[in-house]
Amino acid sequence: MPFAGMDIGSTMTKVAITDEQGKILSSHIGPTGAEHRHLALKVMDETVSKAGLSFGELDFIVATGYGRINVPFADRQITEITCHARGIRSLFPSARIIIDIGGQDSKGIKLDADGKVANFVMNDKCAAGTGRFLEVISETLGINLADMGDLALSANGFVQISNTCTVFAEHEVTSRLAEGAGVAEIVAGLHEAIASRVVNMTRHLGIEKDVVVTGGGAKNKGLVRAIAGKVGFPVLTPPEPFITGALGAALVGKDFYDRGIRPAKERKREDVKFFA
Amino acid sequence: MGSVSIKAAIVGGQGMMASGLIPSGGNYKNVARKVMDHALAQASLSFDDLSGLVITGLGAAGAPFAGRQVSDISCQARGCHCLFPSARTIIDIGGQFTKVAKISPEGRIADFLMSEKCATGSGRFLQVIARILSVPLDEIGPLSLQSEKPVEFSTNCAVFAESETISRIAEGAKPADILAGVHRAMAAKVSMLVKRLKLTPDIVLTGGGGEDRGLAQAIGDALKAGILVPDFPRLTAAFGAACLAREEQTANSGGQNARPGNGSEAAL
Repeated sequence: MPFAGMDIGSTMTKVAITDEQGKILSSHIGPTGAEHRHLALKVMDETVSKAGLSFGELDFIVATGYGRINVPFADRQITEITCHARGIRSLFPSARIIIDIGGQDSKGIKLDADGKVANFVMNDKCAAGTGRFLEVISETLGINLADMGDLALSANGFVQISNTCTVFAEHEVTSRLAEGAGVAEIVAGLHEAIASRVVNMTRHLGIEKDVVVTGGGAKNKGLVRAIAGKVGFPVLTPPEPFITGALGAALVGKDFYDRGIRPAKERKREDVKFFA
Repeated sequence: MGSVSIKAAIVGGQGMMASGLIPSGGNYKNVARKVMDHALAQASLSFDDLSGLVITGLGAAGAPFAGRQVSDISCQARGCHCLFPSARTIIDIGGQFTKVAKISPEGRIADFLMSEKCATGSGRFLQVIARILSVPLDEIGPLSLQSEKPVEFSTNCAVFAESETISRIAEGAKPADILAGVHRAMAAKVSMLVKRLKLTPDIVLTGGGGEDRGLAQAIGDALKAGILVPDFPRLTAAFGAACLAREEQTANSGGQNARPGNGSEAAL
């Protein structure tokens, strides 16, 4: 019995399909464009075919992420807070705090002992503390975004970046470079800046073990190290941090199904329209 | 001596005689000399003819002349007070920072706030968006005033607004509506600062932001108050510095022109 979860983020669309045991059958990631409905379906088609299934065989589809309302073929739309919690909980039963660093937002989620969401904090108003901060400055530095984390790890200490605002930090970085500061040390300083912002926000929830870092930010080893430094103890990361929201969505769908809830009508691929 | 440009103003007993403004381009000393020479030539004076000199701004320490240093905000207050004796609140919107000051009826600083944490309240925000739209800075204001339907940004973050602007252009939004949307977002941020100091009219808008009529109007709308704008909003701090130098001079010589601020200066 396959269940699909689809997480439409600001930058990436992620789909995961699990079986009735909650085991991942397949997953796929594609960019989120201006037209979600169209791209969402493409990523879905790809994931379905990777699992050797057909669209009509999916027993439940849950959409999450900020673009979730744009998925007319989903059976339920559930917030990414709930889905992240469900996905992380299935991977790390010991998780109490989730730090999710996305392309345009960051979140802290607190789980109670039963794995339910107890509280959360979120920043989607300001680019500081989100993936966008690193993205903007990596462009200024002419460094591949994917290389930033390793560069930070290679640094000897770090250069303190005093500006919070991305726009001002960008300016500060060019001044530090002009003064002769090392690129690796500056990049390490940028990671420190994001980590402080995100961890300080999460402190409002009360930080306790275990802390799991997820989202695109968890792919960045330099950032994970900086976060662990601020938290004061090692943090966990999922093997595939991009898809924890989609995995959680699939599992939430499985939970619905297990409670006897069924899709409203038979699922046919040809019935799915782009502009529902 | 500001981070973006260096300005000079020369005042005599009758008010402003000459002025100059040149982008600093990182070379404070040379540019400062150039601006001074420009203003002196305009007034047909030599440097030795000057009776006093006050230097202000971020780069004041790098000035190639000996003169008393006074904080930019005090000079700004003095300049605005001389131009508009009714001024009680000054909003200075520069390239990087936005400052809000409350001044006493005597033109002294009573309270002061600065926005340096977020680019949204600063001129940087406009520069970023104008660059995407390929609109020259001096055309931003007139274009924004033509807007009939200002774009509403989902956040006030300059970085997010930049990517939103690109999507809006793709959707066919007009540059005028985008700029008017930026003006509104800036005005919202600036008016928060002003309200923290308790809004007290009259309000004067100075700095590069004062040259942008669209921004002045958006701030006026946000504060539901009239906004006074000097004829040369980027020169008010230099003018104020010159006024302070003149006051010092007249105090020392016990002259009759003890207080500036008469009608002639409105011609600035």
